[in-house]
Amino acid sequence: MAQDRGMDRAKAIYQDRSQRAGELKAQGKQVIGYLCAYPVLEMMTALDLVPFRILGDMTEPISRADACLPTVVCPFIRSALDLALKDRYQFLDGVVMAHSCDVAEKTAHIWHSYLRPPYFHFIDTPHTTGDSAVKQHKRLLKDFQKTLEQLAGRQLSQERLKEAVKAHNQQRALVRELYGLRKPDPPLISGVESLEVMVSLMSLPVDEGSRLLKQVITEVRQRNSGPPKKPARLLIWGSIIDNSSLIQMIEGLSANLVMDDTCVGSRFYWPDVAATEDPLDGLAHRYLVALKCPRTFRQADPNKASKDYQADLEYRFGYLMEYAKEWRVNGVILQSLRYCDIHGYEVPQVKDYLNSLGLPAIYLEYDYSQAALAPLRTRVQAFLEIIGQGNF
Amino acid sequence: MNKVKIFTAGIDLGSTMTKVLILDGEGKSRAQVTGATGAEHRRLANKVMAQALGQAGLSLEEIGYIVATGYGRVNVPFADCQVTELTCHARGVSHLFPSARTAIDIGGQDAKGLKIRDGKLVDFVMNDRCAAGTGRFLEVTAETLGLRLEELGELSLKAASKVEIGSTCTIFAQAEMVALLSQGRPLAEILAGLHQAIASRVVKMVTGLKIEADVVFTGGVAQNAAVVQAIKEKLGHDVLVPDEPLFTGALGAALLAREIALKCLANGKTIPDKERRLEEARLYEDY
Repeated sequence: MAQDRGMDRAKAIYQDRSQRAGELKAQGKQVIGYLCAYPVLEMMTALDLVPFRILGDMTEPISRADACLPTVVCPFIRSALDLALKDRYQFLDGVVMAHSCDVAEKTAHIWHSYLRPPYFHFIDTPHTTGDSAVKQHKRLLKDFQKTLEQLAGRQLSQERLKEAVKAHNQQRALVRELYGLRKPDPPLISGVESLEVMVSLMSLPVDEGSRLLKQVITEVRQRNSGPPKKPARLLIWGSIIDNSSLIQMIEGLSANLVMDDTCVGSRFYWPDVAATEDPLDGLAHRYLVALKCPRTFRQADPNKASKDYQADLEYRFGYLMEYAKEWRVNGVILQSLRYCDIHGYEVPQVKDYLNSLGLPAIYLEYDYSQAALAPLRTRVQAFLEIIGQGNF
Repeated sequence: MNKVKIFTAGIDLGSTMTKVLILDGEGKSRAQVTGATGAEHRRLANKVMAQALGQAGLSLEEIGYIVATGYGRVNVPFADCQVTELTCHARGVSHLFPSARTAIDIGGQDAKGLKIRDGKLVDFVMNDRCAAGTGRFLEVTAETLGLRLEELGELSLKAASKVEIGSTCTIFAQAEMVALLSQGRPLAEILAGLHQAIASRVVKMVTGLKIEADVVFTGGVAQNAAVVQAIKEKLGHDVLVPDEPLFTGALGAALLAREIALKCLANGKTIPDKERRLEEARLYEDY
């Protein structure tokens, strides 16, 4: 295992995310926390600010957040706010949030009032993908850029922004390359390891993250201690997964998790930013239209009067079938965090779509707690028995 | 293949009851025994197994293959393999009613809905996190009203009308029951309301599976005639109930054991291939 240095480093960052951020601060860098996949990373990178993904901690019982947030909302956001209230995000020089979902929007206010970060910005990301929405998004990103410029004390040139776009696109290409290593049977890297790498990338400046990724990719290609061959190859879709215990439970059964569509995973990294004359055009499009999260009302052709139902379905979920084909998936786990409306609403349609194309899918709702995993194990095991890949 | 005579057993370690069913060489039930799983007895599945072996007049070694299922299926030291209760119930239901397309099972602490096609499980739903509207709910009801569990259904069917019970949360419903009693509402009407509430809850849950006939109702709660009646009303059509609904999971497990054993023999493999110990079962909590 001595040669797995990149993987070990990723795991160490996954286990203690703030350590590297502390070192960067000691070097005089400013670290900006962002919640969800919608704040534009390139702008922060271009101004030499370090974007740092705000995540929760499933192992830490929520105790402080309940005093200022309803208990019947997204347990991930409750956990993230709880950590902040316990000073676990004290090192952040600023926070940017977006209207990714309603809970994120409301929590943005609460975060601002209770934690008073030195810099705070909220992006009211539109919820549709038509031309006017993209135009509006571009305007909102300009506003975001202005506040960032105030914080950094300098103007952001188009050239710098284009360079940042390139750097982030390069990282995205590397992530896709890493995910490609999950295509063989058995996959060369497990779902648990993959998640650890994704979390570590979200805790590092882009270039440092890409160097780590390259190291991990090289190691994974060379090693001979990957996951064992298992009968089932699964895809997991849904709400945020920022702790590996759910995946560990699944991979502890007769299945390998070979692909994901979640936002600490492929959903976050898949689409590139197009190189446009004004980089804001590429960014506005990528972060609103190309990013596929059910928080956005996505239609095949939003600018047309008549809507084709089948075309909409293909537009919304077709990529999942492509993933399934390319990663040779024989079952899909649709998971939603408890109270995650945006995924909860989507489940019946995505399940019907996959089933109609002959791909079995199971829906799991989970509580963002390790204690709740035992009953889910029975469900996953039964699902594996259904798809004929069970261990009997 | 069927000429091979082989005994198999299914053990269903539910949250409340442990059920063992032994099949003879023809695949007919030879013994079936239940015992409590709950609290102090929870690890004593071996006792229930021993009792079933006694009833069948067989030794453990004479059983060709044993499948464990249910909440406590993991680490049963005398079982040869474990299969989830969802697959086992579907198997048991299809054996008893080949026409079954949907199954509803209400046990001691959980409720599930199964979608069955060509005798195979294709989809399922399970209740989450709490035992509302399950056997435990009926136990608490019986306790609160000073009745025996077996009396609830009969008594409820005698009601002239039924009260509205707002909740199947065991705690809230108990409070509601006490309030209704103090208002002088007849016992039978209160019970009728409770049974309606259980049926509503489970039917709502199973609706997500797109219910198709024939619908089979199993599990300990299917022994309560009033719940059966209420589910029929909610669904708007008939519901089939096995003679012994409690044993459906154990039956499915024993049938799967038989299938696995015959397949192994046909392939020239020896069974069982693991050492068995007729010892206490361990639960997740033991780790």
